[in-house]
Amino acid sequence: MTPDQTAIRDAALAWAIRTGEPDFADWDGFTDWLEADPAHADAYDAVQAALDEAAALVPEPEAEAEPAPSAANDNPGWLAGHRVWLGGAVAAVLVLATTFLLGVWPQGETLYTTAPGETRMIALDDGSTVELGGGSRLAVADARAARLEAGQALFTIRHDAADPFVLEAGGARLVDAGTVFDVRLAGEGLDVAVAEGAVIIDPEAQAVRIDAGERAVGSAGGRFNVAPVDVAAVGEWRRGRISFADASLAEIAAELSRATGIDFTSDDGATRLSGSIALESMRADPRALEPLLGVRVQPQNGGDGWVIAAR
Amino acid sequence: MRAAFGPRSASGPSNADPASPVFEPPAAPNAPLAEAFLAERDRLLRFLRARGAGEAAEDLLHELWLRLSGAADPEAAAGIGYMMRAADRLMIDRYRAERQSRLRDKAWADTQPGLADNIAPAPGPERAIAARQQVAAIEAALTDLGPRAAAIFRRHRVDGIAQRDIAAEFGVSLSTVESDLRRAYARILEARKAFDEV
Repeated sequence: MTPDQTAIRDAALAWAIRTGEPDFADWDGFTDWLEADPAHADAYDAVQAALDEAAALVPEPEAEAEPAPSAANDNPGWLAGHRVWLGGAVAAVLVLATTFLLGVWPQGETLYTTAPGETRMIALDDGSTVELGGGSRLAVADARAARLEAGQALFTIRHDAADPFVLEAGGARLVDAGTVFDVRLAGEGLDVAVAEGAVIIDPEAQAVRIDAGERAVGSAGGRFNVAPVDVAAVGEWRRGRISFADASLAEIAAELSRATGIDFTSDDGATRLSGSIALESMRADPRALEPLLGVRVQPQNGGDGWVIAAR
Repeated sequence: MRAAFGPRSASGPSNADPASPVFEPPAAPNAPLAEAFLAERDRLLRFLRARGAGEAAEDLLHELWLRLSGAADPEAAAGIGYMMRAADRLMIDRYRAERQSRLRDKAWADTQPGLADNIAPAPGPERAIAARQQVAAIEAALTDLGPRAAAIFRRHRVDGIAQRDIAAEFGVSLSTVESDLRRAYARILEARKAFDEV
């Protein structure tokens, strides 16, 4: 939102509160405001629609919960409704700001590590970039060779046919052909999605070619299943959203931990789900996962983690 | 005296009195309402245009008449405040209906291979999850507000109670009610914005 849009939205919000009064009378003043800019009516409609939808979600007050005037003063007890998990979100931001770790290996490789919930942009010498996801580890030998040792990364590689970029991941070799691509290690598995150009897995052996708009899931030495993927969804984890395709609860728990820094676990390797989740609500309250995936999320015994189980 | 047109009333043409589908020859009980409506015709039309009615303004004026003539209390409906509010509500309902129909079209397109790409192999559950997530985001926003602010939001928005009456009911100052409402509205919009931008 631009500052202008924000100002219009705030004005629309103020008008919505005023027109919401049963005895609101300044309809001509409201009309003047609307006529000043066609965007005003749009903003006002959007605000009213949002409030209608929210109003439909407010539960009917229970009979015994009728507001008791004596109990309804400005007392701090009302704040008790606030989620303690907001603290978790703050902690995640602090982690993001402080715990990036960089070390130089004896072999001359540079090792980049991220904590769960943290992301990191890495600029390579030739202008290529790597965005490293949470709980990930990338060893960079030089601008044209790297090894993903854990987690997930989105590569935006300057193509040079004479000197292709080579990535080792999960025991496979990925060679780019002019490329934006995302690589994720999940257990033994490897998940590669290509947004631009193409990537070839193990060019000397099975030589699986993945073109833009395709995603390959498999493991080194085994079979890779190639399926279409929405190009816009490649690397969407950078924008706080992650997708699963036929993933077990155990895999989903590991992915969520890595992306949010909140400790999720699950011993359920059998229940499999597909879906796409915005992480923001998860950071605010891990239990938000329950209605979304139709699972149970419970605090871990004696820890500050969360256990995901099938319902 | 609000009868048929509370803030959340969704009455449409179907609620209109079938005996008076147009406003030119008003039935006798509606005569004062028709008179008031005709007297304020230009003002209502100007408002509908300002609200984005465009070329449909005349049609919408007619639809507004159908709503007003179906009101349970024609005397109250003849007040300019009532008529303007009904016109405002008409435009909000129209906006929401168009938005719903756009979303339905998009949902249909998403299920058609070739019309729109989606992550294979299960676009269905993803959409369902996204929709549930939006509901969850708004629910979380309301929970975060705390019970008093959520209850005040409900009394004002759903039940259409004036702020000063809510203040008396909850035993708080008018400025507390105002600030709770402001907070509630802003929080709800934030929740939706966060979702829309993902």
